Amino acid sequence: MKYLLTGPIILFSRVILGGVFIFASLDKISNPEAFATAISNYHVMPFGLENLLALILPWLEFLAGVCIIAGIMVDGAAIMIIIMNMVFIIAISQALARGISIECGCFSVSSASEGDNIGLITVIRDIGYLILAFLVFYRQKYQFEFFPKSI
Amino acid sequence: MNIRIPILQAILLVLISILIGIGSNILSSKPLPWFAVELSVVEDVEIKSNEPILAAISIEQAKLFFDDEVLFVDARDEGYFEAGHIKGAMKNIFLYELIFNIEEKQNKDTPLVVYCGDPGCGDSEQLAYDLKDSGFTKLYVFKGGWLEWSKAGYPSEVGK
Repeated sequence: MKYLLTGPIILFSRVILGGVFIFASLDKISNPEAFATAISNYHVMPFGLENLLALILPWLEFLAGVCIIAGIMVDGAAIMIIIMNMVFIIAISQALARGISIECGCFSVSSASEGDNIGLITVIRDIGYLILAFLVFYRQKYQFEFFPKSI
Repeated sequence: MNIRIPILQAILLVLISILIGIGSNILSSKPLPWFAVELSVVEDVEIKSNEPILAAISIEQAKLFFDDEVLFVDARDEGYFEAGHIKGAMKNIFLYELIFNIEEKQNKDTPLVVYCGDPGCGDSEQLAYDLKDSGFTKLYVFKGGWLEWSKAGYPSEVGK
């Protein structure tokens, strides 16, 4: 266990998570309208809040991704990635449980026929990211972190 | 404020995201409304009128349209379409191809109904707005979608 929290796996996790979150954010940032539709398909947002979420969430993904790779506020970025992944897992699971047939809206939102539908595999993927984010948060060796400076 | 505290870092990230997200929408050339508005459901549909319209309809109205052989367009993903759709509905492959397919059958001011999975899904509305931007003038969004239609046992089919 100690090796998991000190070894190169932490750096590896940071790069993977950062890459995934930055990649996931780009299409949504350029297409907030399509992302708002993708969110509203999940039927979890009240009061038309999907638009606000569609404007803010992609930037949060982007910032968290940049920070966790660049070694800036890695703890905060890891927390946000953990929270976001938990929310995604809950949103997708409830949609699956209710039998709603929708697209994921996870990575690409611009095309109507992306074929990126939600399924068990989407949940498992997100659980994988969640585990990586927990490893980063509980890391015991601080490497390549610049703000706040590694001790 | 001690920036070493993880939760403070997280809050800071959220605040920055809110600032950028809201700021970029204010500066955007095509800003998104802050809150999503739902289409209102129209009760009496005057199909013969020439007024442009984009409105939601109930399942009863959708069935009337179906009996009148109005074109239905399925806004859902291909896989769901193949698993079951309203009889005779057109598949939404991608927008330009869809527009081409519709125009082969009818012109832009002939009514058509768009639907997706269930009463809250947004794909049908999104597609309706896209079609409106492309010049279609008589657009009806059947909010109940495939869920209500299949529950009611109305004519449907599977496959491509």
